[in-house]
Amino acid sequence: MKNAKIAVWVVVAIVVVGLGALVLAPQSGVENVDGARMDELAAEGVRIVDVRTAGEFEMGHVAGAENVPISGFEGAAGTWDKAQPLAVYCATGERSITAVQLLQSMGFEKVYHFNEGLVAYAGELEGGQAVAQAPIDETLETPVLYEFYTDW
Amino acid sequence: MAPIVDGLKTEYEGTVEFRLYDVEKDPEGSALATEFGAQYVPTFVFVNSDGSVAGQIVGESTEEVMRAKLDALN
Repeated sequence: MKNAKIAVWVVVAIVVVGLGALVLAPQSGVENVDGARMDELAAEGVRIVDVRTAGEFEMGHVAGAENVPISGFEGAAGTWDKAQPLAVYCATGERSITAVQLLQSMGFEKVYHFNEGLVAYAGELEGGQAVAQAPIDETLETPVLYEFYTDW
Repeated sequence: MAPIVDGLKTEYEGTVEFRLYDVEKDPEGSALATEFGAQYVPTFVFVNSDGSVAGQIVGESTEEVMRAKLDALN
């Protein structure tokens, strides 16, 4: 009977310690964020990295972001402090997910991913107002609204 | 969304071209959606006349938000 009580207390202690560790542990891993959260992170001083090309970056980017194109991303990230959180984005989230995977494999502790990309950013861009070049090979006479839909 | 888009299409006729693609039935539209990085429907992509993408809306939206995006195109 005494042993049973001890066993129960051991289990309780393990559970309490485990929960405490979860609560107190620094947040780590990858977190998807939206554009508004990106602005907050920039204001908090988090490193914001735009992995698009230099040409795309010049057309407009999140205020305070630095441009590290995905082609040279791994080399640049190798010089950064892995304990410092950082946020990455591109135009649509396709290139930045590659950056996120690289950062994870390199051991970065906290990565924020603006997974919807700059096309979904509602804030004011710095340096311009175009977020990407459309994948169309034609001269447009007027602006165009594309809608991609389906009838369920 | 269809009534909103239909109304805006009429209102912006001659100013903004509306290109609507059913990605389930239209292979060209499906391919274009992929190139634009559109992963969900509906997705709206706003393109300036110089071919630059001015913005994107994923999911349902309001006429007010759509109109603001359309008015900002150049």
